[in-house]
Amino acid sequence: MGLLNFTREPVPEAVSGDMHNLNQLSAQQFSALTEVLFRFLTEPKEVERFLAQLSDFATMNKISLGPLKNIVKSILLVPNGALKRNLSSEQVRADFIALGLSEEKASYFAEQWKVNSPTLTRLAVGQTLMINQLIDMEWKFGVTAGSSELEKVGSIFLQLKLVIKKGSQLENVYVELTLPQFYSFLHEMERVKTSLESFS
Amino acid sequence: QLVSALHNLTRHVVYRGLARAEDILCLFPENFHQNLKNLLTKIILENISAWRNEAQASQISLPRLVDMDWRVDIKTSSDSIARMAVPTCLLQLKIQEDAALCGNDPVVSALTVELSKETLDTMLEGLGRIRDQLSAVANK
Repeated sequence: MGLLNFTREPVPEAVSGDMHNLNQLSAQQFSALTEVLFRFLTEPKEVERFLAQLSDFATMNKISLGPLKNIVKSILLVPNGALKRNLSSEQVRADFIALGLSEEKASYFAEQWKVNSPTLTRLAVGQTLMINQLIDMEWKFGVTAGSSELEKVGSIFLQLKLVIKKGSQLENVYVELTLPQFYSFLHEMERVKTSLESFS
Repeated sequence: QLVSALHNLTRHVVYRGLARAEDILCLFPENFHQNLKNLLTKIILENISAWRNEAQASQISLPRLVDMDWRVDIKTSSDSIARMAVPTCLLQLKIQEDAALCGNDPVVSALTVELSKETLDTMLEGLGRIRDQLSAVANK
């Protein structure tokens, strides 16, 4: 087996056996299975649904679930590696052929890959590490009427509550701003927006 | 006793927000020394706005924003994807804990927050709404 695009590591032994089994499927069965796979890849949180659909496929096509799961595991190696390395659909097709999948099926899969890759790329970018990500912001503002020092005050304050994701926990940060601070904060944030837009 | 009395007098003036000489003068008892009364009133009047500002600055509050810095980074690569060009904003807020609780040595902590472009747009929408609400209140 020549060099593969989607991985630098040796592929597990079972994979060529699994590809051979895949080749036995009809074009229609293969296309149905591919659809199930891509639906899972684009919505990775829907594990229950994915397993249910696999089980339906197994029953409908009279395949045992155990071997089917192994086949699926092997297939998924390619798109996962391809996503990490920004592979083109030709490279994905070439890899499947190198692994032993028939040309027809490899081309079909690569075509589906091309169609789905913008969604998949966006998902991968979304999973990228973010430090202290700002999740939510609430505010209230009001007037300070009086205090123990000053009987009548009448100054405006703005209170912000920032919800921040620190690791896996959410933390609330409360900050008070004076009016001039608020306006300069707003001004700075507008500058950030302009800067971000110029890089998009 | 003298210092304490003076302190009470000035606190009272600041609390009530007395700004005119007549109001302060009438605080003194009848037979108070005239020149001393005028001198004290003059000094108090000179300092009153500074004292009011300081009282306001040190009143109890939630932690206050003291400074803010930002930078824009471009993320080029991560463990989940080898090549990308995603701009992101890092915002550092310097927050001072309640001055009243910390006495003379307030604790300033720095909080760094990351915002994606979408988050920033949503935040700006929120800030814009605050600005509109503020001008509505100001125009009433």
